Amino acid sequence: MSRLNIIFLITFVGLLIWITLFQPEAIGKIQRGAMVALRPFMKASNQLDGAVATLGSETLSPAEVREKLAAVEQERDRLKLEVIQLDEILTENNQLRNALQYLEKSPLSLVAARVISRKPTNWYNTLVIDKGELDGIKVDSPVIVPLGEEAGLVGKVSEVIAPHSAVVLLLTDEMCQVSAKLENSQEQGILSGQRGALRKLPSLRLRYLSKEAEATPGAKVFSSGTGELFPANLLLGEVNSVKIGIIDAEANVKPSVNFDDLVDVFIILPSESAQAAPESIPVKPVTPP
Amino acid sequence: MKFFGLVVLLLILSFILQEFIPVFDWAFGSRLLLVHAVFLAASIAVPFPTMLTMAMATGLAWDARYHIPIYPAEAAMGTFVQSEIPFGFTIFIFGIMGALIQGVRPLFKRGRWELPVFMIGLCTGLGLLLEYLIISFHRGGLETSPELWWKMLMTAMFSSLVSPFLLLLLSRAADRMRYRIRMEGLKRRHTYDGDAL
Repeated sequence: MSRLNIIFLITFVGLLIWITLFQPEAIGKIQRGAMVALRPFMKASNQLDGAVATLGSETLSPAEVREKLAAVEQERDRLKLEVIQLDEILTENNQLRNALQYLEKSPLSLVAARVISRKPTNWYNTLVIDKGELDGIKVDSPVIVPLGEEAGLVGKVSEVIAPHSAVVLLLTDEMCQVSAKLENSQEQGILSGQRGALRKLPSLRLRYLSKEAEATPGAKVFSSGTGELFPANLLLGEVNSVKIGIIDAEANVKPSVNFDDLVDVFIILPSESAQAAPESIPVKPVTPP
Repeated sequence: MKFFGLVVLLLILSFILQEFIPVFDWAFGSRLLLVHAVFLAASIAVPFPTMLTMAMATGLAWDARYHIPIYPAEAAMGTFVQSEIPFGFTIFIFGIMGALIQGVRPLFKRGRWELPVFMIGLCTGLGLLLEYLIISFHRGGLETSPELWWKMLMTAMFSSLVSPFLLLLLSRAADRMRYRIRMEGLKRRHTYDGDAL
């Protein structure tokens, strides 16, 4: 090997070690730069995807009308979700005040976001949304969509990469783990996706159920809220099948959200009080008056 | 110099085009990794130091766009703060892949592309496998399934399929720009007994 090659090899290894030791702040700056440079292409790609998807449909409205319709739908969905959340909060307040003497949970505030890139990385199920740091998005914020009268969990914010961009780790990924409960049951477990972003296998795994769990096929699975990250009663999916093991049971769950059709999503922002004192997010008992 | 400019231009273009390349659900979530294919095709045509520089720049740009900081369970306990696949790991993968593919430079020079095309697919697949092994090492338990192998195989195959066009482009450009692929490091300066030739 020539001397020049050796010098380059040593420099390469040195730089590689230096880069792998970068702090998250430095990585964030680099990623922000890349995102700013590639954002127009990401948006164009997403628009192209949308155009291809609508190709062959019977009617194509003008761009302005579509834009207005999308905005109205977004607003309607946001209000629908707020109503759902408010209903849940109201019920919860009553339960907590009257029966359990708990403090009311902090009210949730939502931010609407549009998916700008849905191409996952090689091994993670992710998508990129058009809201970021300047919109108050924080890492680990839950991402939801309205599903009829219920709110379905899409995933959580994995990384805020730019002032107006963030990466969402989908529920179908193994690393997005949610504390879940079965419908009409006290049975709880941990719901997670699969390893490797293999899109042909979108089913989820609900693990650590007791062997006596009444997980009948078709039973709905909701978030239990005990993990502190996700609020309670977000719809996660429906039980497909149950496998009883030696010490516990595991259910195969079909996700309720169609991850391929996501256009608009909503991010639950942490409340101001929660930001000031994170330990106050979970409900806490108070002494009766 | 013009040839190196073209290679840089191709790499930038590949990053832009990569945004438009869809994920194929029918192929188990695989897709064409155009940046990898362009890097590997170009690595056959450039000298070792240039390949290392390209690996550094391409790997850094790839991680800047596609790196997702997923932290292992140990991170919650404050004992481990590096993400599963560390930022910069792609540089390492590109460096290894580039070094491997440099071995088929003589074939490319002679106009034999069978092995270079195969190697581009193989290196892409190996890079993916390495990433998956790192993830599995962090999460514990090597979970494999036919779908996983198919995903890696299909991704490698897409790279192989596009590589003849890239090699043709680079080969034509090299001819036109009078760029000569040199074989530094291949000259035998000593006999096997240690005497100078």
